[in-house]
Amino acid sequence: MTDTPDSHLPERLTFTYVPRKGLLKLTIVNFLLSLITFSIYRFWAKTNVRRHIWSCVHINGEPLEYTGKGKELFMGALFVFLLLILPIVLIVALIGLIAGPDSPLLMIPQMIVIFGVYLFWGFAIYKARKYQLSRTQWRGIRGTLAGSAMTYSLLYFGSLMAKGMSLGWATPVMNTVLQEQITNDMRFGDAAFKFKGRAGPLYPTYAICWILSLVALIVIVALIAASSAGSTFWQDLFSESSSPDSIDKAVGYLLVGFLVFMVLTALIIPMLWSIYVAKELRTFANYTRFDGAAFKLEATAGAVIWLTVINLLIIIFTLGIGWPYVNQRTVKFVVDRISLEGMIDVDRIRQSQVPLDRRGEGLADAFDVGGL
Amino acid sequence: MTIDAIYFDGEYARDRAVTITVDGHDIIFTGDGVPETRWSIAGLHPVDPPSSGQPFRITHSSKPGARLVIRDEDFIRTLIDNHRHLRGGYSWTHLRQVAAWTLGGIIGLAALGYVLVSFLPQKVAYILPDGWRNRVGEQVVKGLVENARRCDSAAGNAAKSAMIAALAEGNPDLPPVSMEIYDMALVNAFAAPGGKIIFTRGILEKADKPEEIAGILAHEIGHVAYRHPEVQLVRLTGLQVLISVMSGSNGGDITSNIAALAALLQYSREAEREADDYALSAMQKASIDPMGLRTFFEKIRKEEGSTSKSGQSSTLGKIGNVFSTHPGTEERIKRIVPMPAGQVPVQVLSPEQWQALKAICAS
Ligand SMILES: [Zn+2]
Repeated sequence: MTDTPDSHLPERLTFTYVPRKGLLKLTIVNFLLSLITFSIYRFWAKTNVRRHIWSCVHINGEPLEYTGKGKELFMGALFVFLLLILPIVLIVALIGLIAGPDSPLLMIPQMIVIFGVYLFWGFAIYKARKYQLSRTQWRGIRGTLAGSAMTYSLLYFGSLMAKGMSLGWATPVMNTVLQEQITNDMRFGDAAFKFKGRAGPLYPTYAICWILSLVALIVIVALIAASSAGSTFWQDLFSESSSPDSIDKAVGYLLVGFLVFMVLTALIIPMLWSIYVAKELRTFANYTRFDGAAFKLEATAGAVIWLTVINLLIIIFTLGIGWPYVNQRTVKFVVDRISLEGMIDVDRIRQSQVPLDRRGEGLADAFDVGGL
Repeated sequence: MTIDAIYFDGEYARDRAVTITVDGHDIIFTGDGVPETRWSIAGLHPVDPPSSGQPFRITHSSKPGARLVIRDEDFIRTLIDNHRHLRGGYSWTHLRQVAAWTLGGIIGLAALGYVLVSFLPQKVAYILPDGWRNRVGEQVVKGLVENARRCDSAAGNAAKSAMIAALAEGNPDLPPVSMEIYDMALVNAFAAPGGKIIFTRGILEKADKPEEIAGILAHEIGHVAYRHPEVQLVRLTGLQVLISVMSGSNGGDITSNIAALAALLQYSREAEREADDYALSAMQKASIDPMGLRTFFEKIRKEEGSTSKSGQSSTLGKIGNVFSTHPGTEERIKRIVPMPAGQVPVQVLSPEQWQALKAICAS
């Protein structure tokens, strides 16, 4: 037994998902308690599911630990409700009352609220991420985000505008900038994450997905048009002698065509974009370093599609009750595919000095930002 | 018994090999740069519930950041068997806390509901400026009568004024009201914010005597005097707030849909009684025969089974007639009693004025 730090050599970190029993019981108890507490229990439910899933993620044999508390999430939500949602709703209602129910003035507060939500969306994401990292421990050391949520929020807002105005073409650049901003703020104890890389390598895949989506849209429309061409659809709609009955029939065709279009696009377009999502995951992992070691994430488009489809089916067939399994599968997806290429001198990592927030995720809960 | 374990001090990520021994109510551990440390077993708590095949991780209230990781299955089992609080999982304290917050949440929402739907409307209705009342009143009327024509004729308007004047006789504090008649077949009358009282052509046609219309007018003036339309509107806004707050969504433009307009006219029984009492007292002071109102109510009630379909497609028609918007008819009819013997009823309108009023929509 020695006391000298030198005796410990840098180690290679390996990530494994070690399932443990109890998630089914948690899911059922969470559902029942949420039911009888008018969903107020959801904060505690979220917490104990995270604690379970975190504890299944082992890095070099030592599990992650989630130290968050249901009360912190509840307080976060209560805080946002009392200081933000309630005043806003009251002000909007007051303006409605003063201006009268049909007044066009009502548009103004509603637009301000929508603008505010977009402006603070990034803030909500950043704060929620910070809370989760600061409640995640490994070997007694917690993570955090050491930067400014407001900076990230403005950047996020700007990225939304840029994506919209460029018909999506700014997406790879903006996502890279956002990821760089948040990753460079990330800490584990006093050790920092670094993100470095350009958006350029994402563009070929982005272009392929963009063009394929366009082609897919055209093909879907053409197919629907072709299948209706054989019918009397156009004659029904435009012939001089069109009776109300045939118009009804034509409208029926139109409606069915529209439904087919919606279903096909809702299925095919996200699948096409999974190619880009997988590419982005791999690239961003490559650009990320922790203490000098580079991450590697082996995510393929097929795996992303499979994960998304099964998660969707779980949500649909359990009526949403199965959400802990969706979270579990998502975490497992990443853990199974991630590796850190390089040696880390873990033993010298010190505890983070960034103070802990006392409440968590209020805004993210209000906006329903998503994530775990 | 001495067993091996790993210790994290919560300050460095370094793992330290230690040995643990149990000493009465405490455990003692020491090793790899860790001085001999004594933790009370009562102060221990599990980071995760113990799970077979997994190391047992515990911490102590004196050093919440520190972790002891024990892999010795026998030791874990003995420790847990002797100290039930180390099992983790759901505890009564935890469930009690959740129950308390739930109860608090429900009480909070109920209090908010009371303030928004009951307390505030009563207070706010009386401080609303007249400009607002008139403007909103116009919007409400427009929403209810839709495209119907407003009936006007010189003689008819004079008759309206004469009827209001007859009611004002002996009632000096009658609130300022305006009486408007719209060219609609359905039988209805209502009061809107700002003292606007709306009659349909249908209700005029249904009446055989001016006292019947005067009685309904008195009742609607009662609603105006108690600011019932304004209270309802503020209450509706409060309800909108409550709905948006509970559903977490923007309640939408609740004030512009039919259900909302219906709710606007759906007064409570208590409000109707207030308006009735006001009408009866006003009619008595003005010496107007209250039996006109009673006759009219009875006439409508008889026809209730065979309601005409005319005007059912309009907003006002969908909301219902003067009866479905005024619940508790039977008991209200009974409360209308004849004038005391000796009091001489006045003539509300001359026969010519009455004819002019009934014909106001003809021109
Ligand atoms: Zn009434």
